[in-house]
Amino acid sequence: MILQRRKMNADVPSMAMGDIAFLLLIFFIILARVSDDSHLKVNKAEAEELVKPQHKRVSVAIDNKKITYLNGVRINPDDLGLALYNPDGGPGARGILGDFPPGERTVLLKIDKDTPAYLFEPLIQAVAKAGGELHHVLEEKK
Amino acid sequence: MKLRRQSLLTEPPASAASDIAFILIIFFLVCASVQEEDGRPQEIPNSDKQHQSKNPIRVNIERDHLKLNGEVMGIAQFTSKLKKRLDAASDAEGKTSEALAAERTVAVRCSPTVPYDRWMEVTATIEDLGGTIALMRKVE
Repeated sequence: MILQRRKMNADVPSMAMGDIAFLLLIFFIILARVSDDSHLKVNKAEAEELVKPQHKRVSVAIDNKKITYLNGVRINPDDLGLALYNPDGGPGARGILGDFPPGERTVLLKIDKDTPAYLFEPLIQAVAKAGGELHHVLEEKK
Repeated sequence: MKLRRQSLLTEPPASAASDIAFILIIFFLVCASVQEEDGRPQEIPNSDKQHQSKNPIRVNIERDHLKLNGEVMGIAQFTSKLKKRLDAASDAEGKTSEALAAERTVAVRCSPTVPYDRWMEVTATIEDLGGTIALMRKVE
């Protein structure tokens, strides 16, 4: 007598797909928030004839508590230059701007409008020295 | 004989809750990514001695006034005087384009307590008039 093998049903329950997608999204949102500076409180200075940046590779911010951030992560202002471009670094360790060509070295500057010059001028100089292309993030003058 | 009214099921299906949450997250993500990053590009050349003028236009930014080559003035007077000076620099004949670019260099020295919005206002004025900003800072 031949016994027929019972077929195993091993389908993934399709009901759970929504939950899986939900959890994956939460995971990626949390990851993205780490390298994002949208959580910083910056009172923007006003100016006229504003334009959109061509690239958004790097952002340097000073928030309303006068703390400096690089891509949303707190940084010592003295370390900014080397973090952006390290000419002595090996391949893959030349800083965030690395060997990107001109036109793709945009650095967004989000500086609180009340920040004194002794705090923001060294940052601007460090960006210029690293070959970064400055783009001040401002608010349209009304 | 009494007829019983059939009770209506009004609860939404629980299996749709995760789909609703998914759509809501997409909505808030899109809203968050629309954060505006409009602004002004600014060209501050690296210290390149070949392109430095021997006698650049000097601007001092203070909290309540400006100095153009040592002369104290307000922003309106500063704008008109700097415009004349930069126009004169670009009209010079017999000069190479590099020499002309060097003539348009404006050396900006800023008092340490000047806030960013004032610095931005003055440097934007210089750039709008065609000047190239060179930051002057004390070497510590």
